[in-house]
Amino acid sequence: MADNLPTEFDVVVVGTGLPESIIAAACARSGQRVLHVDSRNYYGGNWASFSFSGLLSWIKENQQKADLSDECEDWRKLILEDEEAIPLSSKDKTIQHVEDFCFGDQDSAEGVEEAGALPKLRVLGALAAQGESPGPEKESPAEMGIALGSQESPAEMGIALGSQESPAEMGIALGSQESPAAEVSPGSEKENAAVGSPGEEPQGCSEAARAAAGDGAGAAPGPGAAPSTADGDSAPQPAKTEAAPSENAAQEPKKITYSQIVREGRRFNIDLVSKLLYSRGLLIDLLIKSNVSRYAEFKNATRVLAFREGKVEQVPCSRADVFNSRQLTMVEKRMLMKFLTFCLDYEQHPEEYQEHESSTFAEFLQTRKLTPSLQHFILHSIAMVAETESSTLEGLQATKKFLQCLGRYGNTPFLFPLYGQGEIPQCFCRLCAVFGGIYCLRHAVRCLVLDRASGRCKAIVDQFGQRISANYFIVEDSYLSESTCTNVCYRQISRAVLITDQSVLNTDSEQQVSILTVPPLEPGRAAVRVIELCSSTMTCMKDTYLVHLTCPSTKTAREDLEPVVQKLFNLNTEKETENEELQKPRVLWAVYFNMRDSSGVERSSYAGLPSNVYVCSGPDSALGNDCAVKQAETIFREMFPAEEFCPPPPNPEDIIYDEDEIEPEESGLNNSPETKPETSAEESSSEGGAAVTKEE
Amino acid sequence: MSMEDYDFLFKIVLIGNAGVGKTCLVRRFTQGLFPPGQGATIGVDFMIKTVEINGEKVKLQIWDTAGQERFRSITQSYYRSANALILTYDITCEESFRCLPEWLREIEQYASNKVITVLVGNKIDLADKREVSQQRAAEFSEAQDMYYLETSAKESDNVEKLFLDLACRLISEARQNTLVNNVSSPLPGEGKSISYLTCCNFN
Repeated sequence: MADNLPTEFDVVVVGTGLPESIIAAACARSGQRVLHVDSRNYYGGNWASFSFSGLLSWIKENQQKADLSDECEDWRKLILEDEEAIPLSSKDKTIQHVEDFCFGDQDSAEGVEEAGALPKLRVLGALAAQGESPGPEKESPAEMGIALGSQESPAEMGIALGSQESPAEMGIALGSQESPAAEVSPGSEKENAAVGSPGEEPQGCSEAARAAAGDGAGAAPGPGAAPSTADGDSAPQPAKTEAAPSENAAQEPKKITYSQIVREGRRFNIDLVSKLLYSRGLLIDLLIKSNVSRYAEFKNATRVLAFREGKVEQVPCSRADVFNSRQLTMVEKRMLMKFLTFCLDYEQHPEEYQEHESSTFAEFLQTRKLTPSLQHFILHSIAMVAETESSTLEGLQATKKFLQCLGRYGNTPFLFPLYGQGEIPQCFCRLCAVFGGIYCLRHAVRCLVLDRASGRCKAIVDQFGQRISANYFIVEDSYLSESTCTNVCYRQISRAVLITDQSVLNTDSEQQVSILTVPPLEPGRAAVRVIELCSSTMTCMKDTYLVHLTCPSTKTAREDLEPVVQKLFNLNTEKETENEELQKPRVLWAVYFNMRDSSGVERSSYAGLPSNVYVCSGPDSALGNDCAVKQAETIFREMFPAEEFCPPPPNPEDIIYDEDEIEPEESGLNNSPETKPETSAEESSSEGGAAVTKEE
Repeated sequence: MSMEDYDFLFKIVLIGNAGVGKTCLVRRFTQGLFPPGQGATIGVDFMIKTVEINGEKVKLQIWDTAGQERFRSITQSYYRSANALILTYDITCEESFRCLPEWLREIEQYASNKVITVLVGNKIDLADKREVSQQRAAEFSEAQDMYYLETSAKESDNVEKLFLDLACRLISEARQNTLVNNVSSPLPGEGKSISYLTCCNFN
């Protein structure tokens, strides 16, 4: 593959995190020639997700921090007299204090290797530990997806965002949830049959999806919206049936060993950043609008949880939830509904909150007729704002946002991408590539080349000393050198990832995606956000849960988060633990790390950057992705004010090649396909492709 | 937008070195075209072709790499939920054959466990420039448990066969799994469309 990179582009993007990838996609979509590089060998930067073995290598890399002073400065010779070099950093310094812990028998895992997708390869490589390797008959029931044509896609159980041609076609299209056609009532097989019918139904769904996506606020949001849900998981169907054909299903949670985690390591997709998508957030809107949604599939977060008086409980948030709640009294139900209804259009009733505008939201809640438990639910689990800092208005805004997102795709406001958040940047990269963007991982950039006369950046010099010129440059913060960032003040995010054997709240279904906010355990600390993922999100192996903890840092990640981990989980490896501990989920493996939060850094605090160099920040600590989308759109609009931001691409089924295109392109770039909103593509292709429409 | 009906939908993904003729294979099959000297395929995400096999309509959704293979930078998400992979090399290019293990490693890492892989040696119209013998390729594919076929997108040799055979295999796999699955009661929301059971199973 001794292929050389072209040396002239319109836009060069360095870093493949979410904002960079959105910008790359938007630029390519609008006809710019884009080069997108990353010095790492994986996509996403700090937005990436890893298999278990991939994460172990990442940990090692970040713990060693081998300070190779490899700063070979040969490239300096390539800088001309009327130019100046702005060196980029070759070391990633955004991750600190990485500590990992194994709570199982690590030695037993020695020599165990990750099992791959290709059975024969495994045998060839003699990798599988004999006897331990799951035979095929045992393996198949463990499969998440059940193979049925397109059904094979595990994503089946997921939600396909607004796309009519996604491989998950049979799944439920985003946006269609509001339409009765796509409504699946949990556990009802009859209705499942209707939706999954391979005939006209999928199309019907997607029509509805398009319509729904198009006119946005079609259905009334809020607690009133039907609690339709794509997941059958909330059905009281014990997942045990799944294992039935092969093994006599053990009733108790299976004991997962460390070697099993290693062997099934490929089943893990562990995100460095833990986020959810607000169902009416900017990212969902962009995914639908740009049709990037066809590359990803989603699952609803199924539960919003609260941690109060040492116990984890479920927070009723939709109207149906509130009415069905067993933990609330009738009076409480009425209070809660009344308050939530008020929050939906609080702006209309300023008299209700005006006098509290200068107080905190927590204080405001005390003035309303709400019991302490309701106040807790609203403050920590619905508004998710800080108790001591957030104002009444902030709290009302946050509550309203939460409520507005309810019911679009399910009875919580959140979606999670199957295979992890790390898929999302890649999906935008695919769009960029489809529109001609050139991709190159493992490709480092040594410096930006500044043209002294114009004061603009005119090129980059890469690791091979090759000069690549462009008009615009997008650089992710972590690539900037210390000299550029001397005046920048960064915040930090504390993160923990645990693999556990049980959910923090066991209910009838094992397959839950839960979000839990743990209020600060002591004053001065931040609340900790906990997201627990089940195996059907395709982020962890069967019979385990992946738990992400996140908070803004005050100390090291372990110091910030371990107290919460101890409250929620059993960290003891020994069997003789107290009864109380036994009921908690056991942690099988854990890692803590601090990640730099470069969001919110003023551009002016970066020293000496030319005006055509734009900086993207790494992940922020917020739950949603609005920050990244806003940043991408802002930068794109600054570069190309006249261009539309990620308009929908033509439907692949509508693309028709005419004969002009078959000629070797005389007109250079003009080989964009013709788009015809006709059905002829389908017809002609069905007939063996003989009929091709000719333009002239 | 016509109402579509089909009995099966499969996602097929092509991989292999740049320039081995992946896009040509797809375009030959879906459109009956052989576009000489075409550049990178801009704006085309995947192509669709519906074929009929034993009276059943099978919709094939065929995904191309969008050029990301050029510098070995295919996204993992490209492989997600693919039902079949077509691993392509150029019989006139030793290098493209030698890269196959690398591609297999990538499949191994990112593809679903149940993906069907077909090895395709393209450009047999250039027989006089052949660098990779049929025997070598056959041995390799056998060792890796792959189906193997040689094609010419230019002459349209074996192109139909490639995709139609693949479709047949996918159908039979899907059937088998349906039968197996039907033994246990289906879990709602776990990838099962009940209608498939009724349409494929009980006859």
